[in-house]
Amino acid sequence: MHYRADVKDLVYRYDGSFAGFLCCVFESFAHKEVPLAIAAPGQAQLSLYPEREIVTVETNARRVFAGIGRLGGAVRYRLAIAFLSGEEEKDMDLLRFIRRAFEIGPNAAAMLGDAAVCRAWELERTVQNEAHLMIEFLRFEQRGNMLGAVIHPKNRVLPLLRAHFCSRLPDESFLICDATHHTAMLRRGDVVQYLPMDQYDPEPDAAEEQWQRMWRRFFQALTIEERRNETCQRTHCPKRFWQDMCEMPLYQKAGRNREKQ
Amino acid sequence: MAELAEKLEILADSAKYDVACTSSGVDRGGRHGSLGSCSAAGICHSFTPDGRCVSLLKVLLSNACCYDCCYCVNRRSNDVPRATFTPRELAELTIGFYRRNYIEGLFLSSAVLGSPDITMERMIEALRILREEYHFRGYIHAKTIPGADALLIHRLGMLADRLSVNIELPSEESLHRLAPDKQKSAVLRPMGQIAAEARQNQRELQLYRTAPKFAPAGQSTQMIIGASPETDRHILTLTEALYKKYSLKRVFYSAYLPVVQDSRLPALTTRPPLLREHRLYQADWLLRFYHFSAGELLSENEPNFDPYLDPKCDWAVRHPEFFPVEVNRAPLNELLRVPGIGPKSARRIVKARKLQTLGMPELKRLGVVLKRAQYFITCNGCLGAHGSRSEIAGALVDPKAFGVGMQQLSLDDFLPTALPDAAPQMHQLTGQGMPAQEAAQLLRQEAVTCITGRM
Ligand code: SF4
Repeated sequence: MHYRADVKDLVYRYDGSFAGFLCCVFESFAHKEVPLAIAAPGQAQLSLYPEREIVTVETNARRVFAGIGRLGGAVRYRLAIAFLSGEEEKDMDLLRFIRRAFEIGPNAAAMLGDAAVCRAWELERTVQNEAHLMIEFLRFEQRGNMLGAVIHPKNRVLPLLRAHFCSRLPDESFLICDATHHTAMLRRGDVVQYLPMDQYDPEPDAAEEQWQRMWRRFFQALTIEERRNETCQRTHCPKRFWQDMCEMPLYQKAGRNREKQ
Repeated sequence: MAELAEKLEILADSAKYDVACTSSGVDRGGRHGSLGSCSAAGICHSFTPDGRCVSLLKVLLSNACCYDCCYCVNRRSNDVPRATFTPRELAELTIGFYRRNYIEGLFLSSAVLGSPDITMERMIEALRILREEYHFRGYIHAKTIPGADALLIHRLGMLADRLSVNIELPSEESLHRLAPDKQKSAVLRPMGQIAAEARQNQRELQLYRTAPKFAPAGQSTQMIIGASPETDRHILTLTEALYKKYSLKRVFYSAYLPVVQDSRLPALTTRPPLLREHRLYQADWLLRFYHFSAGELLSENEPNFDPYLDPKCDWAVRHPEFFPVEVNRAPLNELLRVPGIGPKSARRIVKARKLQTLGMPELKRLGVVLKRAQYFITCNGCLGAHGSRSEIAGALVDPKAFGVGMQQLSLDDFLPTALPDAAPQMHQLTGQGMPAQEAAQLLRQEAVTCITGRM
């Protein structure tokens, strides 16, 4: 098998799913070509170049996935994590990474000096970092008979939160609503489901407000005025997270159901 | 509930000067029938406007102290509102906050309520409720009360993940002068006991995997910097000895913040020595992760850290013979000595160079920050960058020392001011009326000239 390919003036359009993306990879190898761009649904038409619709075919996706599996766990893992990225060009970056990985072989994941490998690694790290920050900064509220949280991540981090919160709250039901991507992760009993979600009801009740007030008071009491250094605060906890953190000044209580309007 | 909130405010306010707030050191997954888990790296849940991490519910069980340590807000002779939690209130608060993902667990300490033993018994009861009734598997850090019975320390250790015994002041004289009710032996005895029990526990765990664990995240301590006259060298040597002798996991430093007027203490107008505290933490880091020793970092002639250079750069300036270091061949511990290369980058370099020869572009992709490192490395024999002595000095000075932030006077009026952790000279100059940016420039120039001269 050889991996030469021509860059073609052509845009792949696919359904946005992981299997769909793998089919784009399949297409690229099958036609020995590299498109100019790969577009997911919702992504506006980028150029005047013709588009090719890539149909998601389960068997093709499986073949590609098995092939990637032979490159080792690290490559497959990087791909799976980086695919959650919210960046528009991620599909092209990952296609380049996979093509490069097939050239290099099982060492590909560690070869960070290589531009394509390094780019995929960056994507992976960005997603991981955001997921980690979400694990830190997410706030649950008692909503109805379960815990609920609303987050606004840049990347689709929900799958990376699952293991942590299921382990942390072994006997609780909870729901995490990703308001950026209109998806929710619902955990009930031992079952976890991902659901589309535009609006989150019910609202937290009065007892919950009490807890939040208490937490705010604790937070304020903890601050040492003589050491005040908000720059430092923002480097560790970027402002974009504040809207969902009830102790922060930019907390948007009313904004939690923004999607309604 | 409102009353509980009031207590919480008082007891968090009194605990806030305790700096240790980390939930690190144990890995423990969740389990059905219980609540919570722990992750070895620790998790921060928020950051206060002073830039410190909030990881644990850090409170005192009580601030009604019967001792009279002169540097402490809670001392008997101070007139402040007093409050005491019941063990159950404390447990309920912890669980309520924990479920909402506000915290990783509890950091409990206390003023001396009547006697050390009574205080410890109450603390133990709170932890017992958490562990046995709520089956709480989150993190618990408990501070032992100096002078408490050895058996109580043992019981506390069976419930907590980490124990700490605060050394408070870096020398016996200072302790004697400022905290007349405490003795060094009362601090060191429990520290020794905890270290011995932990070792014993290790052996038991090797025999029976299910043996109950004693303070699995080890012990830590804390000392106040700047309330007494010890040098950085004294403090760092003490730190090193504590790590070795008592296998401490962490030593924390807390810049002294004047809370009381007392002839034995720095004046109330004294600024907390935050930059000094920062340098000590950097040096502590070098001891723990970079294989440096205290003796290498400071000497009798230079017993204090340079405010304008971080300790590692300082070492590099004093040891030109060590450099340059060849990134493609040097062993890990040599890479670690290069200014700008941390443990993460160093490990990445070692891994990546097995597969390809590294040049400057590759290093950049690996995420190595080259601003400083470039002058101290070679890539396959080629120097990373050539620089004049003053260029190198310019790259090495620590911008933190000249930090300028914006103070908001009104909605659209901002005044540049020296950040709290800038060098003391910055505060001096701005205090005399010099605009902050000008002071920063002036001092930076002076520092660069001085470092250039040393090279
Ligand atoms: S024993 Fe602790 S709480 Fe009491 S005065 Fe001394 S330092 Fe403060």
